[in-house]
Amino acid sequence: MLLQFPITNNSEVDLKTTYDAVVVGSGAAGGMAAHVLTSHGLKVLLLEAGKYQDTSKILHSMEWPYDHPRRGKIPPDYHPLSAREYTFRQSPYAQNSPYKKVTSYVEQWGGSDYSKTLVVDEKQNPYTGTRYAWVRSRVVGGKTNIWGRLALRLSDFDFKAKDHDGYGENWPISYADIAPYYDKVDLYLGVSGFPENLPHLPDGKFMRPLKLNYASLHLRHTLKDMNRCLTPYRAGVATDQLKHNKYRAHCYGRGACERHVGGCDIHAAFDSTNGLIRPALDTGNLTLRPNSTVYEVTVDKDTGKATGVSFLDSETRKSYQVKAKAVLLAASTLESARLLLLSKSSLYPNGIGNSSGHVGHNFCEHVMGPSVAGFMPNLVGKSRTLDDGRPGGFYVPRFRNLTTRQGDFIRGYGFEGGAGCGMTPGTAYTTPGFGEEYKKKVRDYAGATIEMGAFGEVLARYENQVEIDPNVKDAWGIPVLRFNYRFGENEKKMCEDMAKTAREMFEAAKFEITSVSDKALPEGWSIHEMGTSRMGNDPKTSVVNQFQQCHDVKNLLVVDGSTHVNASCQNPTWTIMALCWRSCDHLADQLKKGEI
Amino acid sequence: MEPNLNRRDLIKLLSVATFGSTLQLPAAEPGAPLFFTKDEFAMLDKLTDFIIPTDDHSPGAHAAGVAPYIDRTVAEAFLSEDKDSWRKGLTAIDKLSDTMHGQPFLQTTHDQQISLLRKISAQEQHPETEPEKFFTQLKETTAFAYYTSSIGIHQEMNYKGNVVLEQFVGYDADAAANGMPPWSPDK
Repeated sequence: MLLQFPITNNSEVDLKTTYDAVVVGSGAAGGMAAHVLTSHGLKVLLLEAGKYQDTSKILHSMEWPYDHPRRGKIPPDYHPLSAREYTFRQSPYAQNSPYKKVTSYVEQWGGSDYSKTLVVDEKQNPYTGTRYAWVRSRVVGGKTNIWGRLALRLSDFDFKAKDHDGYGENWPISYADIAPYYDKVDLYLGVSGFPENLPHLPDGKFMRPLKLNYASLHLRHTLKDMNRCLTPYRAGVATDQLKHNKYRAHCYGRGACERHVGGCDIHAAFDSTNGLIRPALDTGNLTLRPNSTVYEVTVDKDTGKATGVSFLDSETRKSYQVKAKAVLLAASTLESARLLLLSKSSLYPNGIGNSSGHVGHNFCEHVMGPSVAGFMPNLVGKSRTLDDGRPGGFYVPRFRNLTTRQGDFIRGYGFEGGAGCGMTPGTAYTTPGFGEEYKKKVRDYAGATIEMGAFGEVLARYENQVEIDPNVKDAWGIPVLRFNYRFGENEKKMCEDMAKTAREMFEAAKFEITSVSDKALPEGWSIHEMGTSRMGNDPKTSVVNQFQQCHDVKNLLVVDGSTHVNASCQNPTWTIMALCWRSCDHLADQLKKGEI
Repeated sequence: MEPNLNRRDLIKLLSVATFGSTLQLPAAEPGAPLFFTKDEFAMLDKLTDFIIPTDDHSPGAHAAGVAPYIDRTVAEAFLSEDKDSWRKGLTAIDKLSDTMHGQPFLQTTHDQQISLLRKISAQEQHPETEPEKFFTQLKETTAFAYYTSSIGIHQEMNYKGNVVLEQFVGYDADAAANGMPPWSPDK
């Protein structure tokens, strides 16, 4: 049966072998690298800083809140940071905290007891500098264990964005280069969607789409008249059975995706462990070593090539070296940058791969916060419908600055939204008063609610960067990152426009609006960090080439979101995996030809 | 080995998962609160039941065990100030009741209790005084405890989800009957 495939936390790995490739990090990028390289017959070692945790057993996706002693909340000696704390406290945010464990803000959400071991302890993993809500997951599968599942493609509006507005740099690839790899990712992992034929949000090889409920459907029709689109959530979820992967079920519409912060205990939603790593282990070509905190890329002084990595056993703190013909960093945008910067030598005094001085720079992400909430009047007081029996709500793709320039900002934003009543009514917290009248109102309005929040492109700017803070070390004695990152004028103006258009769309749909916000949440909130080792053709202004190989060190690749040239406004996971697949095909070819 | 998870496996699996929780908290004996005194607990129970009372649709906060839930969570709160805020809040209510009606809250009449609640809930978006702030805290906690209870989820909200479905929910013929435009994503 599905759950009988334990991955052991066995740390006995043959460190005398020279692997074809060592991959650092086991999230979306690392899992994909392991899958592609092992499928080419290459011997791969996958190192993950965290433990293996079986989400099949820990998520309890369908446990009712009242069957849990704390209604799903984390234990009292755990403390999730609030938006306020990121603003009023100085980083490291967990410094001097009396709590046993401090986590990032995501554990503020309901059901956090189930995911409390999937996110890092901020006390062990400090960072310094400007405000940043950094969410990290050190566990096999990384953040894919709790991701939001929105699986979108970028288009040439993103890859060639400079051609549209003159800002920044173009990517060294175009949509045509990556489209076949998006197709491969779609077919291997499964994505649910409804084709809309939009040039700025290309369609994929979709499985059965989600359905829209009354209010969402009504908004879709309203937006069509405004030349805008509302499409069912494009979920990285197998809505039909994947015939080639025995570790994943298809979605059963349990509505469990977000109740426990994130995650799917039957792996209908993609997670790297079950979607990529387990099948890769079955090839016999993959060795997985959890509990391996990599702290340096090692170098051959004569050739300048990477020879492997040094790592600590995360539990015993014992140091090990391992050799490989190619080293692939997939530790997440910020951790991969940290590793490059930490890997200093006489050959690479500014960190490996950093002759351009661009490592850590051009750091970008999505700005979140502006949102609208309201209700559809003719649904008030109607009998209850099942509204969350599917793995997502809706998505409103970008409509700004596509063919014509709108507003006093460049680039664009999209909205994620949902309508109707989940397991517990949001109206319980927004309805004023008390007593029978309050209770009836909560009940009557719960099914009529609709809301959406924006995700906007934060411009990639050289001055937004991370660097090593030599004075602060993590629990393993490794120097931490210092942030120098702020939203700029463009993001501010974009946020005002988000609130304006959100209001305008809800008014057009004749929804009663209960709140509109134009306030940005703290930097980092979207968990979509990108760009610290951007790709390009010019070694002076970029870190990696179009195949994610460092210009300076050809057998060192950075295969995660680090390499994105701009953030687009579309969620990055699917692009991370498509790019990684393309780069690993190329690497496998080069390794076979002996070119690396 | 069965390659795909079928519906029956899933149900079997989920029933195991539901009872798999190993978390233990001290069980609250009826009538013996863990943190609050008997009088405080009676007052808390009364206040929560004023916020969400029994009506002709479903039982209220008292029946849903809201006060015992609050008592358990306050008893295990990590910071002493999180415990203190509850005791101080209840004291502030009694003090206000004394000012308004010359009696502690539980000794006043039903109408007097309602008038006190009207007063402290008037500014719930921007609470200023001690009793106003306490009302905001109490209401949020009551709402959480009630709407995550079995009564709240099933009887009051009539929630239909958290079930295994073959087809996703959404637009269907009933929608068309309600005057919604016909559009099916299933074509």
